[in-house]
Amino acid sequence: MAMYINGTGCISHQNTIDVADFFENGKIICQSMLSAQEPDYKDYVPANMLRRMSHIIKMGVAAAKISLQHAEIENVDAIITGTGLGCFEDTDKFLKSIIENNEQLLTPTSFIQSTHNTVAGQIALLIKCHNYNFTYTQQGLSFESALVDAAMFLNENKNSNILVGGLDEAIQPYFELLVKAGHIKKCEDIITEIEKNKTKGFCLGEGASFFVLSNQKNKTTKAQIKGVKTVTSIKGNEDLQNKLIAFLDELGLSANDVSLVLSGNSGDVEDDKTLNESNKFLFSKTHIAYFKNLCGDYFTASAFALWLASAIIEKQRIPKALLQEYSSKQGLKNILIINQYRNTEYSFMCVSSC
Amino acid sequence: MVFVTGIGIISAIGKNVSETLSSLLEGRTGIGKINHLQTIHKNNYVVGEVNHSLQELESLAGLKNSNYNRTTLLSLLATREALTSAGIKNVSTYRTGFISASSVGGMCHTELLYKDFLEHKSHKNFIDTHYTGVHATDVVKHFGIIDYVTTISTACSSAANAIMLGARLINNNILDRVVVGGTDALCKFTFNGFNTLMILDKEWCKPFDDNRKGLNLGEGAAYLVLESERVVKAENKKTIAILSGYGNANDAYHQTASSPDGQGAYAAIQKALAIANLSPNKIDYVNTHGTGTANNDLSEATAMKNIFKKNIPPFSSTKAFTGHTLAAAASIEAVIAILSIQHKTIFPNLNCITPMQDTKLFPVTSLQKNIEINHVLSNSFGFGGNCSSLIFSKN
Repeated sequence: MAMYINGTGCISHQNTIDVADFFENGKIICQSMLSAQEPDYKDYVPANMLRRMSHIIKMGVAAAKISLQHAEIENVDAIITGTGLGCFEDTDKFLKSIIENNEQLLTPTSFIQSTHNTVAGQIALLIKCHNYNFTYTQQGLSFESALVDAAMFLNENKNSNILVGGLDEAIQPYFELLVKAGHIKKCEDIITEIEKNKTKGFCLGEGASFFVLSNQKNKTTKAQIKGVKTVTSIKGNEDLQNKLIAFLDELGLSANDVSLVLSGNSGDVEDDKTLNESNKFLFSKTHIAYFKNLCGDYFTASAFALWLASAIIEKQRIPKALLQEYSSKQGLKNILIINQYRNTEYSFMCVSSC
Repeated sequence: MVFVTGIGIISAIGKNVSETLSSLLEGRTGIGKINHLQTIHKNNYVVGEVNHSLQELESLAGLKNSNYNRTTLLSLLATREALTSAGIKNVSTYRTGFISASSVGGMCHTELLYKDFLEHKSHKNFIDTHYTGVHATDVVKHFGIIDYVTTISTACSSAANAIMLGARLINNNILDRVVVGGTDALCKFTFNGFNTLMILDKEWCKPFDDNRKGLNLGEGAAYLVLESERVVKAENKKTIAILSGYGNANDAYHQTASSPDGQGAYAAIQKALAIANLSPNKIDYVNTHGTGTANNDLSEATAMKNIFKKNIPPFSSTKAFTGHTLAAAASIEAVIAILSIQHKTIFPNLNCITPMQDTKLFPVTSLQKNIEINHVLSNSFGFGGNCSSLIFSKN
């Protein structure tokens, strides 16, 4: 069953709003927290709604609106989002006020916007969409859970357009918590080639990537998602290889059919070990690019990778910031995204030309 | 067809199915004085707490030094009962998944340590267990479930969506069986949140009463085991109910309030009836969302009037027993709906005396026995406009 990508919208650390640009100026910056480049939100959200919105809500609603514009549609048959962290800015705000005011004289705004489904609810409110509405939160598999649902929805409902997004925010208190937990890479350890890291830790990123998916191909179609798979436990690199081979096999593909691998290395020497070993064995003859040095690591960074893969397939071009040199006679047909979160949760996505 | 083959539950009215059933039959509410939740409002409100400390829950689960928080332990206990009642010893015989639901996940732990973090005192790592999906990761690890795991967080409708997703994963031939449900532990964060919205009743809540003043919060977890027709036949399994319908819609009216005409609720019920291929008059009992807030009960009653016209089936809210258990509510009420079918009993809507002026609808307020219940509708609605309905049918 095909899932066509008919519209995309992405807000990330890179300039992903100006689609014509496509990373001409994309660069890898060595810092521990990579904040998103934000658009003028007034272009996408009415000012009265915008005022109350937190960072993640703005990013999510704007990315959703951009993807609808690109798909040239105004409404959808389903809204499905995935977020690992949820609305942390509002959560932190409400928690702080509980502590600072000793549970007295609190105001509800940050509480009511703290639930994980806030963004999906706000999008529904904005476009007046009464249809199917779901929000997933499973750490590194949050966005992929939304995609698995999307595939079923398109299978169950012919002629549908659905909006699927992955989003997470990087805000200061969260960053500090991660630093305290020892997860953030020290500034002096950051290197541009993420796969060659010899140190622990990752650089935190953020972003919102939305997709209009359909079972119908049309003039706005950019690429198709051939398959998506989540894996909740891995027993070493051989197990990962076997699962990747089985995934490709189910799609009627082999490792040789993969034009490009987008590998979800986080930059943490231990967490990336299994992935690097598997890549070395399975894709020794395939171009491998790494995307988390462009967007930072966050629970739904794989949604950024999907946006990237879709744009590469559409434009048949790989930005220099992602891969210096690329040569292939066949063109860019199948892009395999392999993502991992702390070497426990893995996901595979196959994005293909159509 | 998707069958329910096992159920497990823990809430203010009992730590398993049999205790829950006794409380329901004896009209014994679990809502009372606050014992475990650390809040300055302790003496001014009532809640539906699971009457066990963290340590007691851990020992009930047969664990020591697990570092699991309340949300995870509640989830683990209810999952264990569900798997046992379904007679599942080996989770790898079939493609097995776990779909959970939670609104705040590890918040019950985070909020205890956040002050020290803000004051730069704490070196304890609590962020790794804060994320809402962590409990699901821990529970699948405990039971060895590997084929699919995810968590849904759509506020108070979360567990209904988990149940619905499980059925769809079976119908789409992705899984053969799946444990579905939700968990939420009471925490200061949620308690104060609902308090600022001024929708907490300081006394026992009175769903569908004209003088209702708001909801009582609760906590708990419940899970169902869903299995495909193929597995049920191959294993010659005893089934306890059929999950015959499910529907999800969005009210798209307001971030927290329900629309006065209950448009989202109406759409969710309609979709569930369509999937079950049932006309409204086939529904024998409705276990309502019925939180006890002015807004929810009016909106839901209006939606029911629009669906059922003049023939409103018997309905009740069981939240005056358990409290509103948020992301777990729909699975707790799914278990109660199934108990209704199994025991031919409609459990009463406690504390309701005066019919609502605007709709004149009145719930079942006393225990009704020996009632043939073939189809039960169960509703759940939440913040963000999320509305979901499930239909459980007799085997």
